[in-house]
Amino acid sequence: MNKKLTLPRRKSSLDARRARSGYLFTLPFIIGIVLVYLPILIDSVLLSFYKYQGSDTSPGEMEYVFNGLESYVAAFETPDFIDALLGGFQQLLLEVPTIVIFSLFIAVVLNQKMLGRAVFRAIFFVPVIISTGLIETISASDDMTGMMEGGINDGTGGEGIMQVEDLETMFAGMGFGSDIVSMVVGLVNDIYRIINYSGVQMLIFLAALQGISTPIYEAATIDGATGWETFWKITFPMISPMILVNAAYTIIDSFTRSTNVTMQYITNNIGDVGQAAAMSWIYFLIVIVVIALVAAILSSFIFYQRRD
Amino acid sequence: MDSNTTLRKETKNKIRVDYEGKLSFKERMMEKLKASNTWIKAAVNFFRFVLMLGVSFVILHPFIAKIAGSFMSKEDVIDSTVAIIPKNATLDIYKYLAIENGYLEALLNTTLLSLFCAILQTLIACLVGYGLAKFKFKGNKLIMGLVILTMIIPHATMRSSLIRHFANFDFLKVLVYDYRGIVDITLGGNQLDLLDTFWPLIILSVFGLAFKNGLYIYMMRQFFKGVPDELEESAYVDGSGTFRTFFQIIIPLSVPMMITIFLFAFSWQWTDNFYTTIFFPGESAMKLMPDMYSEIPKSLTFEGFAGKDLFEDVVRNTAAIMIIAPLVVVYLFCQKYLVQGIERSGLVG
Repeated sequence: MNKKLTLPRRKSSLDARRARSGYLFTLPFIIGIVLVYLPILIDSVLLSFYKYQGSDTSPGEMEYVFNGLESYVAAFETPDFIDALLGGFQQLLLEVPTIVIFSLFIAVVLNQKMLGRAVFRAIFFVPVIISTGLIETISASDDMTGMMEGGINDGTGGEGIMQVEDLETMFAGMGFGSDIVSMVVGLVNDIYRIINYSGVQMLIFLAALQGISTPIYEAATIDGATGWETFWKITFPMISPMILVNAAYTIIDSFTRSTNVTMQYITNNIGDVGQAAAMSWIYFLIVIVVIALVAAILSSFIFYQRRD
Repeated sequence: MDSNTTLRKETKNKIRVDYEGKLSFKERMMEKLKASNTWIKAAVNFFRFVLMLGVSFVILHPFIAKIAGSFMSKEDVIDSTVAIIPKNATLDIYKYLAIENGYLEALLNTTLLSLFCAILQTLIACLVGYGLAKFKFKGNKLIMGLVILTMIIPHATMRSSLIRHFANFDFLKVLVYDYRGIVDITLGGNQLDLLDTFWPLIILSVFGLAFKNGLYIYMMRQFFKGVPDELEESAYVDGSGTFRTFFQIIIPLSVPMMITIFLFAFSWQWTDNFYTTIFFPGESAMKLMPDMYSEIPKSLTFEGFAGKDLFEDVVRNTAAIMIIAPLVVVYLFCQKYLVQGIERSGLVG
């Protein structure tokens, strides 16, 4: 009998094993980042410093020539690009607050008990699922719906609910500046777009609203708080972190949408890949700055519930 | 049970009890009417209902118009007396779109592609989200930061680089292109042209890098953060390993959430036109959904017809209906889980 006494293999500590599992679970993403994402990202950054042009040495062939910062300088010297940027920025300035407030409002209503709530919820989530990509592109170049329905239009025809001219005269009579009036009217006419773009934000707010524990509300009711007070003193502070999340999401969503003015300008008008890459990066850096600004402004208003 | 109360009826949600001094239904209603805030409440409820109805109409009305338009003949389109209901209803638009634009082929290809991608993306988001939510390890924060980074850098920014990466694909390639031979560290050797195949999208999905995958990973992570640790700890005590716990305890628990993510991934892939245009360029042999509307079928092109442009809009809108019809079916099946999943996603905090 030759029984060997084998010592048990020395086991690593629990923490080390947990850490290893953590790496294993996130492994697909890590590999992807290193082998696929970073190469594409770096390539795109490098590309913006190059120019794709006819070769000097061997005619008829195309080659990449180092261009330095010229693409960036050229981008800032293109009036169309600057216009597209400013236009997109202006649109954003109007859209973000509107979408955030609207989605918060709808989420609050959808969170209350009411007749047909399930059906309304199903309908309100339709845009999230359907009104993206292709359908958005088709709708963007669509004259039919407006022609057939009359509906809410820009006052060019049909017996619409809202005629821009009527509203403008009405508001102008009340002493508002014409810029403000046209801005407001523009927003009202954009109601379809705004509803369509607030889908995900609505979901996020709804989830947040359902996360607020009911005892807080009960306590407030017992203390005699009205619904109005409850909203501003409890609901609003409790979901304020989500306002930041939603503002950031709206900015990203608005900037990266294929129907965005600047995006369309870059994809359609720029033949030179280096130039397009440079413009994209300028655009992206602006997005980052905008998000950082918004985050900085909003974070001073945010209430974080202390968690034990 | 108290002597002066009698149990009258018991249903799943309500227990009705009769007791002494209980008012009859009519009397109770009268009491309610007398109360001062009843009318205000009713008015608020009514107003809220009408508002919701109105917004729902705004959401649905383009679809109503699209559906109405799709049955119209070309005479109906320019007839100003026809608003919604066509006079000469016909299925011609559907017929020619299906035959000449290859609807069945596009449907089959898109279904396969979306299904592959959505399943992969859901599983990967689940794995990575779980890893980020439940394990402490070096670089956890860094990886989370990278997830956010992939979320905020639009892929459109890297359009040409994406195309080139997959046109000359080499898995072990570190830097992609040779700009005058400066940086090109190719470790593998053979380069493959993956354009016109499912591979680019599948590769992106496998690594959780496809469209909005950062959002999915983030949602999954938030969901898993809300799952109590005790659940796993008790499984560990019972001798189950990390992976067994994940597959037997955690996965069954997160089915509504996974269906939500699947629904997002599936429908966003289905209606996508960014990746399908760059990975399946113009003359592509692969028919996908964007091919449905990019060209007007020959039988539906009427040269010299007064309402030609308008009719082409109608055709494109019909194509849109044909594109989203299968999605609507999927949505109706998953809708229940969607709301449930969102509510449990614990996106808060």
